[in-house]
Amino acid sequence: MFEFIVSYYNYWMYIGLMMIGFYAMMAKRNLVKKIIGMNIFQSAIIFFYISTSVKKGATVPILENAHGHATHGIEHGANAINVMQYANPLPHVLMLTAIVVMVATLGVALAVVILIYRRYGTLEEDEIMKLVRRG
Amino acid sequence: MILPFDLILVLFVYICAIAAITIKDLLSAVVILGAYSFFMCLLWTQMAAIDVAFTEASVSAGIGTVLMIGAVSKTKRRSND
Amino acid sequence: MKILSLIAGVLMGAALIYGSLDMPKWGDPHSPASTHVSPYYLQHSIEHAATPNVVTTVLADYRGYDTLGETTVVFTAGMACLLLLGKRRKRQGK
Repeated sequence: MFEFIVSYYNYWMYIGLMMIGFYAMMAKRNLVKKIIGMNIFQSAIIFFYISTSVKKGATVPILENAHGHATHGIEHGANAINVMQYANPLPHVLMLTAIVVMVATLGVALAVVILIYRRYGTLEEDEIMKLVRRG
Repeated sequence: MILPFDLILVLFVYICAIAAITIKDLLSAVVILGAYSFFMCLLWTQMAAIDVAFTEASVSAGIGTVLMIGAVSKTKRRSND
Repeated sequence: MKILSLIAGVLMGAALIYGSLDMPKWGDPHSPASTHVSPYYLQHSIEHAATPNVVTTVLADYRGYDTLGETTVVFTAGMACLLLLGKRRKRQGK
């Protein structure tokens, strides 16, 4: 039982964060609160992808004993690279892109929020809908 | 990955996330979201993803917080929920 | 409305927990994600790009077009912010 929990609890952690973000996006009426919920949701997804890259007992994906020259690696074939020693670098790269795109999304969303505030003078969703329906 | 350290960090991440969506003062919520990003960054450092960690610390916790503080200062600070 | 969204969130969480039981165990070195493509990157990073940091190699060399697309996204977002928030010249009268 303990073994089962230890090998799966990390996925449940990200699921809990995702539920918090989802609830904030749907139930909160303030637009900035909705954007905060979106931020939490996105970092939960990044958390999930990073946790697929973990290998037990592995270090950061920076190669040791590398001299920085291409010929060394070919000539000394003896010091072959042990793949199980390093974490999986591919999800790290994809999530690096995702973080930058997340901040770009945040910037555009905040610009739209500022425009809505200039037009209607409030950030609460129900008041905005009332003003829109009134014409 | 060290189990107790991981659990403590995840606990702090949960506290920051719940506090950020329940506080009524929007400026406090944004600053707590910055703290959430930094705890997330520690969590990724102990998962051996250092490149993601310092991108998160500079881009999401730095520029994201600055953008949100700018937006809150141009709009209202109080929120109803 | 709040109760409805709480129910929707809990339903989504339950579905995801049910799905997570089929995932490989956390930290398993032989999971499909870490045995398929990434050993190639780890083994050939030095001889192809002479860079010890594998993340940099994949980001800038193997998947350079991906980074180009990311730069396009950031540029588009910056232009959108400028167009939305910039001072607008009022052109009225006609």
